Amino acid sequence: MTNIVVLNSHTHLKLRVHARPSASWGDDQRFVAVVVGELPAVAMHYPIFFSKEADTGRFYCGAMLGIDPRENLFLEEHRERRLYRPLNLQRGPFYSSGPDLAIDMEHPRVANSGDQALFEGSGEPSVYLKSIIGLMNDLKPGLERTRQFIDTLLELKLIEPLSVNLTFDDGSRREIDGLYTVSPGAVGALSDTQVVDLFRRGYLQLIYLQTASLAHLTELTRRKNLGFLRADPEL
Amino acid sequence: MTQRIRSVVIVGGGTAGWLTAGIIAARHQGRMKSDFSVTLVESPTVPIIGVGEGTWPTLRSSLQKMGVLEADLFRHCNAAFKQGAQFARWTSGAEDDAYYHPLMLPQGFTQVNLVPHWLANGASRTFCDTVTPQGHLCDEGLAPKMITTPEYHAVANYSYHLDAGKFAGFLQRHCTEKLQVRHVLADVEEVLQTEQGDIKSVRTRQAGEIGGDLFVDCTGFSSLLLGKSLGVPFNSCGDVLFCDAALALQVPYDREDAPLPSHTISTAQDAGWIWDIGLPHRRGTGYVYSTRHTSDEQAHETLMRYLGPAHRHLTARKIAIRGGHRSTFWKKNCVAVGLAAGFLEPLESSAIVLIELSAKLIAEQMPANREIMDIVARRFNDVTHYRWGRIIDFLKLHYVLTKRVDTAFWRDNVDPATVPDRLQDLLRLWKYRSPWFFDEFDRLEEVFPAASYQYVLYGMGFRTEVDADDNVDTQAMAARLVRDNIALATQMRAQLPKNRELVNKICEYGMQPI
Repeated sequence: MTNIVVLNSHTHLKLRVHARPSASWGDDQRFVAVVVGELPAVAMHYPIFFSKEADTGRFYCGAMLGIDPRENLFLEEHRERRLYRPLNLQRGPFYSSGPDLAIDMEHPRVANSGDQALFEGSGEPSVYLKSIIGLMNDLKPGLERTRQFIDTLLELKLIEPLSVNLTFDDGSRREIDGLYTVSPGAVGALSDTQVVDLFRRGYLQLIYLQTASLAHLTELTRRKNLGFLRADPEL
Repeated sequence: MTQRIRSVVIVGGGTAGWLTAGIIAARHQGRMKSDFSVTLVESPTVPIIGVGEGTWPTLRSSLQKMGVLEADLFRHCNAAFKQGAQFARWTSGAEDDAYYHPLMLPQGFTQVNLVPHWLANGASRTFCDTVTPQGHLCDEGLAPKMITTPEYHAVANYSYHLDAGKFAGFLQRHCTEKLQVRHVLADVEEVLQTEQGDIKSVRTRQAGEIGGDLFVDCTGFSSLLLGKSLGVPFNSCGDVLFCDAALALQVPYDREDAPLPSHTISTAQDAGWIWDIGLPHRRGTGYVYSTRHTSDEQAHETLMRYLGPAHRHLTARKIAIRGGHRSTFWKKNCVAVGLAAGFLEPLESSAIVLIELSAKLIAEQMPANREIMDIVARRFNDVTHYRWGRIIDFLKLHYVLTKRVDTAFWRDNVDPATVPDRLQDLLRLWKYRSPWFFDEFDRLEEVFPAASYQYVLYGMGFRTEVDADDNVDTQAMAARLVRDNIALATQMRAQLPKNRELVNKICEYGMQPI
């Protein structure tokens, strides 16, 4: 259940939220939607894929944080602020409602025991809330820019399905469906005009960031194996 | 002197004309940049007869090859998914008498024939439910795919129900805008022939004389080129298939979100059968009947009784059905497609699939020059004759298996004198061996595969003698396939959305190309 309401300093003056990363507060996501603006930061640590929204079938771009459902293998680093945490996790219970900032009152992060206040006693936004407003200012136009980027990739037929098959030290296997990547072969077959156009729009860099980021799958596998090792010292 | 074939002239718009234009133009895009052209001459006044609203899955690949976006078909032709047909009251006439002819093949169809195994195990569940999940999907009004499934891809095999009137206009826009088909709006006043009897040109009132190397007759029932000019006679099949009239009626839904069935419902009546096809915005219904066995008034009453009192104020449109086909389809440099070639009652939605198959054959076998055209024509006629014969057999199969004796229509239908010889032979054969591969089904593009015969035969209670020893070799595989089918049904029912929900989403969000 969600209950999304527009935020205001009168009604929500005393409202507090948990800002810290935690699996029980919604960080337990193995695949998080990201926007093009954060791709350089995301591509440093996580494999980036395209996938389809279950409800609309439309493509979106996401960072893979885990192997199994509800698994985030980077929680510790997120807590210690050692690795970049995607905007969609940072935003917590906040949404945009037209020009306004809104909040989901049913979100588990919204609690009296929360570590962050939203407003000062005077009704001024807290430093934390200001950071959320700034984040939303990146995220909102970012969604539109990401959509344009993906539409261009689809138009040029640059996206292809990628079946991810992983084998782990405990002998188990995972086959992850529904993931797509830019096809380096299709990029190589583009005409000079198309390549220059992609370059001028900043898309060529994004394409290389995405394809290079797939190498991080090895890191995900390593972390997953580490988990098996802890669970079973015999291994 | 060999005259090269460079200019194809299609006379007549409508579904047949535009689908043929699209299929030929798409296949010859490369040559169309240089010296090959496709022209469609269409009367600005003659109304289009919208044949059938049911199609076969072949339409998916035809449209894909033409470069049509599948979502556009849903948006512009009021299309919906079709996963098969349900035949009600055809066997006993009882209220609960119904079976499905789904579009999915039985599990493992190319590996093993499940019919003898199903029979040997007592046939306690229906044949359809034993070998495919699709009957369940139809029962529950589920769509054959998800919004995340790429366009033209299926989770469960499907075709479309669509608004045939809108379909022709939709294809026209696509053909003229994307496939360089020349569109001439003009009335043909005269067909001019050479001394050898070829068609040289058509003289039109508005656009003068239009010449061509190959003419495609898509002029509907009038068969202006092949029938009238080249004198090819029409062979009626009224002695086999009795229905010769239809009363068609479009019925609104009670509410906008009424459930949308993803199968055609065909309900047997006293002197024919009623079709019921769900489009997103309305139902298309109609009573196909034999005027030898009922009157127009009685037929009207039957249709009204089927629809219920709420729809009494609606006016039905009477359509004459002239079952049969031309005695040849390609003569000289003229080939007929669509109603100009022939027509059969729409019991198995054979009209549009026949257009596609003919157009595809013409496109693939496009004669390089006039000299070899007669060879191509002979082969085209062989295949097309075979196809019409097979479809007539298959339609008759639905009637000949009935156990109904309540009206003269049903009693007359089982009279051996009305059953084609080939079908009689097959029925004798099938008593001892169920249809599968290696019997008659050897053609590359069989309109109705052996699977279709299986669904109808065993849906209508036909029984084939089974030798249990003959099953031993394939028993383990058959048991596994039947178990797989149960698992697949569970999985699909959990995964697939409601038919209407998906159609709405496709119109709103479109479909992904991959």
